[in-house]
Amino acid sequence: MSVSSTVSGAAAPELRIVGFLCNWCSYGGADTAGVGRFIQPTDLRIIRLPCSGRTNPLFIAKALLQGADGVLVSGCHPRDCHYAEGNFYARRRLEVFKQLLPVLGVDPRRFEYTWVSASEGQRWQMVVSKFTEQIHSLGPARRLPGAPELEWLRESAG
Amino acid sequence: MKIGVFICHCGSNIAATVDVKKVAETAGRMAEVVYATDAMYACSEPGQQAIEEAVKKYALSGVVVASCSPRMHEATFRRTVERAGLNRYMFEMANIREHVSWIGRDQGPNTVKAIELVRMAVEKLRLNRALIPRKLPATRRALVIGGGVAGIQASLDCAEAGLEVVLVEREPSIGGKMSKLDKTFPTVDCSSCILGPRMVDVAQHERITLYAYSEIESVSGYVGNFEVVIRKKAAYVDWDKCTGCGLCIEKCPSKKNFDRFNEGLGSAAAINIPFPQAIPKKAVIRAEDCRQFQGKKCGICAKFCPTGAINHEQQDELVTIQVGAIVAATGYDLADWTVYGEYGAGRYADVITSLQYERMLSASGPFGGHIKRPSNGEEPKSVVFIQCVASRDPSIGRPYCSGFCCMYTAKQAIMTRDHIPDSQSYVFYMDIRSPGKGYDEFTRRAQEEYGAQYVRGRVSQVYPRGNKLVVRGADTLLGSQVEVEADLVVLAVGGEGSREAAGLAEKLRISYDSFGFFLEGHPKLKPVETNTAGVFLAGSCQGLKDIPFSVSQGSAAAAKTLALLSRDMLESDPQTAQVDIKRCIGCGKCIQVCPFQAIREADLRGQSKAEVLEAVCQGCGLCNATCPQGAIQLSHFTDNQVLAEVEALLCP
Amino acid sequence: MAVQEELKKIILGLLPQVDCVIGWGPGPDLLCASPYFMRRPEEVDNFLAGPMATQNTALYLPEYKGKKVALVVKGCDSRSVAQLLAEKLIAREEVRIIGFPCAGVADMGKIAARLAPHGEPGEAEKAVYGEKELRITMAGRELVLPLAEIKADKCLRCAHPNAVFSDHFAGEKAAGNDDEFKDLAALETMSLEDRFSFWEKEMSRCVRCYACRNACPLCVCRDHCVASSRDPHWLTQADGVSDKLLFQVTHALHLAGRCTGCGECQRACPAGIPVLLLKRALSRAVEGLFGHSAGLDPETRPPLLTFQVEERTIKEKAW
Repeated sequence: MSVSSTVSGAAAPELRIVGFLCNWCSYGGADTAGVGRFIQPTDLRIIRLPCSGRTNPLFIAKALLQGADGVLVSGCHPRDCHYAEGNFYARRRLEVFKQLLPVLGVDPRRFEYTWVSASEGQRWQMVVSKFTEQIHSLGPARRLPGAPELEWLRESAG
Repeated sequence: MKIGVFICHCGSNIAATVDVKKVAETAGRMAEVVYATDAMYACSEPGQQAIEEAVKKYALSGVVVASCSPRMHEATFRRTVERAGLNRYMFEMANIREHVSWIGRDQGPNTVKAIELVRMAVEKLRLNRALIPRKLPATRRALVIGGGVAGIQASLDCAEAGLEVVLVEREPSIGGKMSKLDKTFPTVDCSSCILGPRMVDVAQHERITLYAYSEIESVSGYVGNFEVVIRKKAAYVDWDKCTGCGLCIEKCPSKKNFDRFNEGLGSAAAINIPFPQAIPKKAVIRAEDCRQFQGKKCGICAKFCPTGAINHEQQDELVTIQVGAIVAATGYDLADWTVYGEYGAGRYADVITSLQYERMLSASGPFGGHIKRPSNGEEPKSVVFIQCVASRDPSIGRPYCSGFCCMYTAKQAIMTRDHIPDSQSYVFYMDIRSPGKGYDEFTRRAQEEYGAQYVRGRVSQVYPRGNKLVVRGADTLLGSQVEVEADLVVLAVGGEGSREAAGLAEKLRISYDSFGFFLEGHPKLKPVETNTAGVFLAGSCQGLKDIPFSVSQGSAAAAKTLALLSRDMLESDPQTAQVDIKRCIGCGKCIQVCPFQAIREADLRGQSKAEVLEAVCQGCGLCNATCPQGAIQLSHFTDNQVLAEVEALLCP
Repeated sequence: MAVQEELKKIILGLLPQVDCVIGWGPGPDLLCASPYFMRRPEEVDNFLAGPMATQNTALYLPEYKGKKVALVVKGCDSRSVAQLLAEKLIAREEVRIIGFPCAGVADMGKIAARLAPHGEPGEAEKAVYGEKELRITMAGRELVLPLAEIKADKCLRCAHPNAVFSDHFAGEKAAGNDDEFKDLAALETMSLEDRFSFWEKEMSRCVRCYACRNACPLCVCRDHCVASSRDPHWLTQADGVSDKLLFQVTHALHLAGRCTGCGECQRACPAGIPVLLLKRALSRAVEGLFGHSAGLDPETRPPLLTFQVEERTIKEKAW
């Protein structure tokens, strides 16, 4: 079998999009979208964290500087944090981080953060679709020397 | 490490759009993977057995299952690997169903994605280590907040099973909204007659301590070991002496005060016992209504009290208790119905709420059980009920259905005809929602036997004509305008979370929505749990519900409380923050941000270091993301574990 | 210089009360001073203050925790002290702050460039910093460099030339300038693409010596820096631009809302990489979002260690 990494229905090759999701709301929202069979682009790979407050902006920096084309962070809506306050801190830190990106020469649209609750399957579908579309419109990110290319992954996937 | 990987078909749920054989084959070549296979249903009994056998046969030290969401089956598989002799944290899950096969149609990209998710799980697992839950002693006593029917049920069930129970009620009497109701649907039995004995049981139970007219001041501690401070509000009456004889009420000269229990119908004395069946049956002075407190010379109640119970000098009292679990059963309040200017709400005396109507119908109510027009005391012959007031109305930010209004309106229409046989009831409704045992039959009886006329449509305006009210609305079934002349208009006002719910939620550290309803742990599978261990929910505080559902939830919350406190020792989740003492420089940033005050400054040979109170730590990892040198790490979600997942997606 | 003499008097007065007074003294050459730790009265004779006093004296404070020290500070140094106090990394009762009006420090790189046709800075036979100019005698010839031309860039935009707080102050307070983040504006005239190339080129010179980190008064992790730890293992030892830049981003993010812009990281860089720019970008973001400039008030809570339920200045993406 040949593995053609394509977005469903479209010819564009997949880009590397990493998601950091809180376990309680957004990961559940992504599950809800799955249960509802809400078809989404396949580029996104989700890393489950307990809380958006666990997201060290350096995880995002690491991903963006070392080979990701886009990073999405999603947590509980403000006031609905499972841990009461985690997303409030996350919001400040992620917003400050986003403003660093243009100075680095990285298009700030390569990183977005948002809030999706466990019941918002459709919102999750919308967020993933629009973000994936946004990254595809920006195209593949430039790689720094030393950062790996995505190709090896495809190759190792056989 | 020797890792085993199991790729689940989930019947065709995964296998239809993911090449599971190929995923297993690729996984077999991943680092430290010694065994990889696919399984039809990994979660089934044979599926789990196969995992156990593989762990033994290949001497596996860690297991990855690629199947559904870990929110679904992580606990299941953790038990599986534990049975096979591994620590339950030497397990990772790759979600290739909800996040892959169900959202992507093409097998190619789905298979690649599944392989990568498995690789992430393997890379993380390589850094997992065994975590051992800590044992904590638990206080075998429960706190129930709110003495409505749900709280009463939870208290009685817990106490019957042998637990000590502390029941706190903010009003002078327990009974809640149900005690205000005249009859209950669909059986039309008397509310007081069925609730009263339960209230008495609470008062008489040797294991229930009741704090009426009290509120929760503060909550600290954690599951099994909460410390709660209760504020006993000053009643200005020594309840140990008060016999509830009511002589003070009779003699009180300040009688024209707002009657809370009767929803403002009638009036109350400044010293009062809300209703005859009150538990406890003790008098309370409302300072804002009392002449003595307004500087006028009075003290008549003190003069007449046969037991000398009146004490105008009384102060609030704080009581501290230890409990192992908390049931929140704070019920609901009516939404603000005065926003409906078009219904004349608050402007016309003869436009009332359904709860006021209940008090009117009640034999022990202010009108002695007679239906009267508040404006002139006449018996109404035409009564209009308007449904969905402050329910299902996005225009005022109330999108949800309150759930019980259709049924109580049908009951009130029946009661109206019972009280006034020559009366006619009209019900303006959007839909009749009557799913429940005997419910639909009941709404039909209201129409067919009791002649209530149901009009499907919303009311656009209520305005006075002479001494009557004209209700104008649309009949959407006939497609025409209708006008009904009414003597009395009853608004079926929907509910919202209790006004003090947000404040209490903050103290309990549980989530609440914008309507003041507390959030359950899972909408289906954890309906009475919250995301704070040891705090449970019962009744309308979680979402509006009728009496049978509230009682069921009271019992359910009691069952959860009992299950939790059936053991002397509790296990705490070991996914907590850990401090690397060598790396910690004692800057205290983690202490500043911890939402649970779970980190404190400790002195280590003269140096300041952070110390995690493991039993208090909830595992959010905020401290981990805050510490610049990474000296505090959240177990099972350490920097290295997250980085391993990131790198699995980026680096060879 | 009158201020220098006044400072010496203050230092002499404080010496008996503290373990050490930190200021500046003779440096590697006549143009540049070195940090100077005074314990005995005779050591005070060599004390220097002025454009040669480039180093941030606050750097040493956390190491002296538990001891009493006095510190001579420029405006920028005082902000580092204020920030260390705000983060409770030092104790107020353990430090005495001696301020003076700073007219700006010299940029040794700029001086070296001007001297290049004539010789190395170390060959200067005589150097006198005057009110308006630096007079250098080299190979028997006197060179005059106007101070305005050799001042460090950070001093040209310095809003706080005087200590933001002090226990003692010598001289008359000087006026400051507005900081309009023109350095960032200059970078931002480039396209995103060019900025990325810019960093790629700049960071390729990085030798991972971590002088930037070691010179930073707020890099309090010291021996526990994530740059060199295995657990957590943020950076590989690979000699690639990507890890080098990631370290700079790490340094900048650890300083977000904390960096006072003293510029010591950039001054210390042997490769002349403009690493301060990244921190400046975050300072501008934090100032714009939360109205907070680090190191102005020892009592304020750093903005990333707190939050507001409603963040009026954060405009979230509308999907």
